[in-house]
Amino acid sequence: MAPSPWRIGIDTGGTFTDIVAVHGGTGRMLVTKVASTPANPTLGLVNGVTEVMRIADEPLAAVATLSHGTTVATNALLQGAIDGLGLIVTAGFRHILEIARQAVPDGYGNSYFWVKPDRLVPLDLVHEVGGRLNFRGEELRPLDDKSVAEAAHFFKRKGVRTVGVCLIHSYANPAHERRVRDILLAEYPELVISLSCEVLPEYREYERAVTTLVDAFVKPHMSVYLRRIQDELGAELAGKPFLVMQSSGGVISAQQVVRKPITTALSGPAAGALGCSVVAKLAGFDDVVTLDAGGTSTDICLIEKGTAHLTNGSSIGPFPVRIPMIDIETIGTGGGSIAWLSREGHLKVGPKSAGAVPGPMCYPNGGDQPTITDANLVLGRIPPALIGGGIALNAERSRAGIAALGERLGKRMSIEQLAEGILEIANWNQANCIRQMTIQKGIDPRRFALLSFGGAGPAQSPAVMRLLGMACCIVPFNPGNLSAFGLLAVDWRTDHIATRVTHEDAINAVTVNEVFTRLEREATATLARDGIDPARCRTVREADLRYVGQSMEVRVAAPAGEVDDRFIPRLIEAFHAAHRKAFGYDYAGKQKLELVNYCVSGFGMIERPTLPQLAPMPGVVPARKAMRKVYFEGAWIETPIYDRAVLPAAHRIEGPCVVEEFGSTTVVWPGQWLEVDGHGIMLVREKVTAIRP
Amino acid sequence: MDNALNPHPWPRPPARTRPIEVDPIVLQIVEGTINSIEREIEYAIERTARSPMIREAHDYRVGLFDRYCRKLTGRSYSAMPNAVVRDYPPETMKPGDVFLMNDTYLTEGSIGHLPDVCSTVPVFNDGVVVAYIQAFGHHDDIGGRVPGSMPGTAVSVFEEGLSIPPIKIYSEGVRNDEALKIVRRNTRVPEMLEADLDSEMQSIMMGAARMGELFTRFGTAVVEACFQAILDKCANIYRDELLPKIPDGEFSWEDYVEHDGVSAPRLHKLALKMTKRAGKIILDFNGTDPQSPGPINWPADYADGAFLCKWIAPILRNLADSPERAAEISVNEGVCDVFEVIFPPKGTLITPVWPAATNARSFVLLRSLGLLAGAVAIANGGKMPADQETIRYSGFYGKDLNGDPFLSREVLGGGSGGRSYADGNDAIHIVPDSRNQPAEFTENRFPIIVEKLALRTDSGGAGLRRGGLGYEKHYRVLVDCHTIVTADRVRLGCYGVNGGKAGQPFCVTVDLHGKPKDLGGLVDGEPLRAGQTMRVVTTGGGGWGDPLEREPELVHIDVEQGKVSRKAARDDYGVVLRATKVGAELRVDGKATTTQRATLRAKRTGPLPMIDRGPGYEKLKKAVAKS
Repeated sequence: MAPSPWRIGIDTGGTFTDIVAVHGGTGRMLVTKVASTPANPTLGLVNGVTEVMRIADEPLAAVATLSHGTTVATNALLQGAIDGLGLIVTAGFRHILEIARQAVPDGYGNSYFWVKPDRLVPLDLVHEVGGRLNFRGEELRPLDDKSVAEAAHFFKRKGVRTVGVCLIHSYANPAHERRVRDILLAEYPELVISLSCEVLPEYREYERAVTTLVDAFVKPHMSVYLRRIQDELGAELAGKPFLVMQSSGGVISAQQVVRKPITTALSGPAAGALGCSVVAKLAGFDDVVTLDAGGTSTDICLIEKGTAHLTNGSSIGPFPVRIPMIDIETIGTGGGSIAWLSREGHLKVGPKSAGAVPGPMCYPNGGDQPTITDANLVLGRIPPALIGGGIALNAERSRAGIAALGERLGKRMSIEQLAEGILEIANWNQANCIRQMTIQKGIDPRRFALLSFGGAGPAQSPAVMRLLGMACCIVPFNPGNLSAFGLLAVDWRTDHIATRVTHEDAINAVTVNEVFTRLEREATATLARDGIDPARCRTVREADLRYVGQSMEVRVAAPAGEVDDRFIPRLIEAFHAAHRKAFGYDYAGKQKLELVNYCVSGFGMIERPTLPQLAPMPGVVPARKAMRKVYFEGAWIETPIYDRAVLPAAHRIEGPCVVEEFGSTTVVWPGQWLEVDGHGIMLVREKVTAIRP
Repeated sequence: MDNALNPHPWPRPPARTRPIEVDPIVLQIVEGTINSIEREIEYAIERTARSPMIREAHDYRVGLFDRYCRKLTGRSYSAMPNAVVRDYPPETMKPGDVFLMNDTYLTEGSIGHLPDVCSTVPVFNDGVVVAYIQAFGHHDDIGGRVPGSMPGTAVSVFEEGLSIPPIKIYSEGVRNDEALKIVRRNTRVPEMLEADLDSEMQSIMMGAARMGELFTRFGTAVVEACFQAILDKCANIYRDELLPKIPDGEFSWEDYVEHDGVSAPRLHKLALKMTKRAGKIILDFNGTDPQSPGPINWPADYADGAFLCKWIAPILRNLADSPERAAEISVNEGVCDVFEVIFPPKGTLITPVWPAATNARSFVLLRSLGLLAGAVAIANGGKMPADQETIRYSGFYGKDLNGDPFLSREVLGGGSGGRSYADGNDAIHIVPDSRNQPAEFTENRFPIIVEKLALRTDSGGAGLRRGGLGYEKHYRVLVDCHTIVTADRVRLGCYGVNGGKAGQPFCVTVDLHGKPKDLGGLVDGEPLRAGQTMRVVTTGGGGWGDPLEREPELVHIDVEQGKVSRKAARDDYGVVLRATKVGAELRVDGKATTTQRATLRAKRTGPLPMIDRGPGYEKLKKAVAKS
């Protein structure tokens, strides 16, 4: 059988579908972009794969695997009408969604005018069932089978097709929920069901219920989507392993995603963060802040010691989703962010956005309000043509738009001053957001590098780096396709969790061993179902602990191997240390703790693509593509423009300069310099503080 | 009200001769950055503080001020640096100084009860104080008669804990350990308090460095011009956008706190006469009842009522065109330009004389919001939300199944009032991001089974836009223990507006010999037997508009969802629901509804009142008159 060397990553975004193909043997990498097809995203995906293999001049049979990042789950949740969804809860808890956590967002007194958004399931489709467990999982009252059968008939009558089940303390004992499923299916076989004990076996009933409902809701969407992909891929590709990116930063087979589709909620951005950690490592940095600036918003994420921060306190839109996800903060400034005047006449930048349609003023058929892209164009910071030079941008429209804004502002400012001011405001917004995010984690951003990607990032990130006093600004190769690249650089991953709240004095090795072993069996079985060679499987144990009396847990790594006498003291010491790192203090020797959750992640190791080194070209001076007037800090400066493709490795270029490439532009400020490393990654540093690595 | 002895001992802003000129770019950068600094300090405190009140209930406040002690940021209320500046003139301050205070009478009205220990740090540029930053948390204990320093039956500040007038706790970076020794000795949780204070002080020092950078970068004159523009923006929004929605004239309203913990229940009156003139609102509190012997007093008559203005003014955001617009409006010191406050003479609930106790002043504080909202509703024909009450404490203490002591305390919210554009919210809490306890947490931690966690049917005041529902929570205790409750609005419901009805008041009952016993609103240690169930039902919000005008279909949905009973649908809303046959779904009976509504209308003796206080008001008045 002929070898199938090509691994393909497909990241479907709102506007473009990005494709990266890597040859397993040679490391040859090809990238391309095709238009997304939101009405039927399958088409864009298939077009992209066909296109990249055409560029490679290889048959489709030469594809080894397909890895996919998708927003199908998120879009279904945020854009579609949510109906046909029901909920089953323990008797006495019918209003669990209405009550939620009683919290009102933002300021004091907003409770008077804030309007609680609609719940995922209207109250009349919430059904109570009898039966009760206590927190140890012991049965206080048996499950009332009759009430479950009634629920099944009720849902059938109401046209409810999908149901979430969340019974009190089911994380401690899944028996009641499983029995509920059996009865429901017996009475109503077509019903789609998610059980909270399987989606999120963790205490806190409201969050567990919502997470379970989100999972249930996206299930039919995800199965239809993945089935359609299989149908459309064609005979040559249909049998190939098809992997889907999960928000936790690992892939899993399409077959398994359908069982618990909620794990794909932030699939694309997670791939981006993973791609970043690979690039950062190549560039010699373990600690980076990543900044992905797109058309309407910017995603910011922290990578420490080479690993992206995960959180299980996240949400999708207004819905708390408590499964592990890459910790991503989104702010409302991107290339399409509009500069506008508030009611009080103050200048604002974003979060209003012209998006991709109509887009900035300078676009063909563009909008009628100036954006960040228009400001960059007016200042000569970006080339006067779109991606690859295909579409000319109309700088005159941008100038006119900014001039009109200036007139309404009523200040004596030139168009250039105002354009530069618009970008300054956007840069400060990003810098402030990064500061908030790092302070929350107790991190000093000056220790970190800034890794900038996405179409709208690198034109401004060197200025953001300067505002924050960060060490370096890293611009990866193909900054517009990093998420698709990330899809090829991640392992299989599956996460398993069990809540057993146990006081420090009651933790015993036998139970700990029993729970971890069971979770590890589940994890390896999941990976085995994807056909992963056990030799390539690895499990990692973690545990959530907290001090007695607090409700905030800290997740720590737990020792591997046999649980012996030393295991528990080591786990406890690891908790004190992690608490100290996260919060600046610990109560070692002063306060007892409790073990809350046992967590096991199973990894199926994937071979990382090896990236080719650029051939060193000693003495070669990179050719300037052009000279252009670019506006920096209040003055026009004649600035060299480079084509990224011809920049030699290990070459240093003084700022100011502009580096252009397909889909992105990097601007280096006066007082900074740029270096290209052996892998073609660009590094921008300040002249005065820069220390060569 | 000027303090005759020492009027304005803090610097006043210079009189303006011409409009200020600001660079619109720098203005956005300065505004965005001070808002960010406030958040950064909050994150730093949340990350490093230790007490659950701060970390989990989010009961702490941060504020950034200019050199004239004017608050610049507006997401929530905060303390004020005026008292520090009064006692330590800015020209004597040095970089590295930090000040500490909590005295409810010597902090210019900015600290309401002693657990709120407040730190202040000056910000310098070119060796001159240019700004202040403050933080205070609600700390777990600052001494006094009971754990938690909030004795519900206190009759003087001496029972409430340690009072700290403004003192210098750090002098040029060196901590005054002698003073801290006294603080440590006066709390039940010395380690936690010291760590919390440390967290707050370190966090504001970090913030001061950040704010200092802003001055260094842009220069004092430029930054101060931006500050003035930020304050003016707030004043202008109030003047140009919100105030025009209130007609000129005088409008009066009064509301009541029902008990003070030490005397028999009666109505403690808060009186307000609001005078609206072009661009100005005068709030006259004369007519307010004398100070109480119990701890419900609020020392508000300091610093020209600046704290009161900033506390109460945000309620006028409800006059904005939409709830989204309301949420955009930040309230900073600029708002004080449009208010004038007239306090009654010393010796009332809001002008108490030291050493009157203050730890439960939150009753008065919360009531003051509804007081202004009510006056505005009367003025503008009911275009304000109906009333809400969303803070009260309830809990249990005793020994758990292992014989270890336990204390469980929870703040349960209530329903918010109906508004012209929406029903009130069910089960919410006024403190942003404050959370209730999951039943699975409660049962894990305490010897309690939560048998029911639900919305309280029929608790929301009837209206065209119904009041939000309160809680109904049933706790079955597994051990003999005691219960504690601190709640107001136990007899009077939250008022309804513009024809809407009042919501139902708060109530706690336990079964005693098979009969429910009403425990009232201030319970201190009522014994419970293992196996007994305590039922807490919290206040529903007031209704807005005539309930007979409510769309019958919405009433139908309310009944389907258990928010309104079938009986209330008929009696309060005039909506008759019928099932076509036994077991079938309910439908609105259109004909019967028309008849029922006509009958109910015919029974009305006059136009609906603009504000409905509910039946509890008359009952309590009669009861007080009788006694």
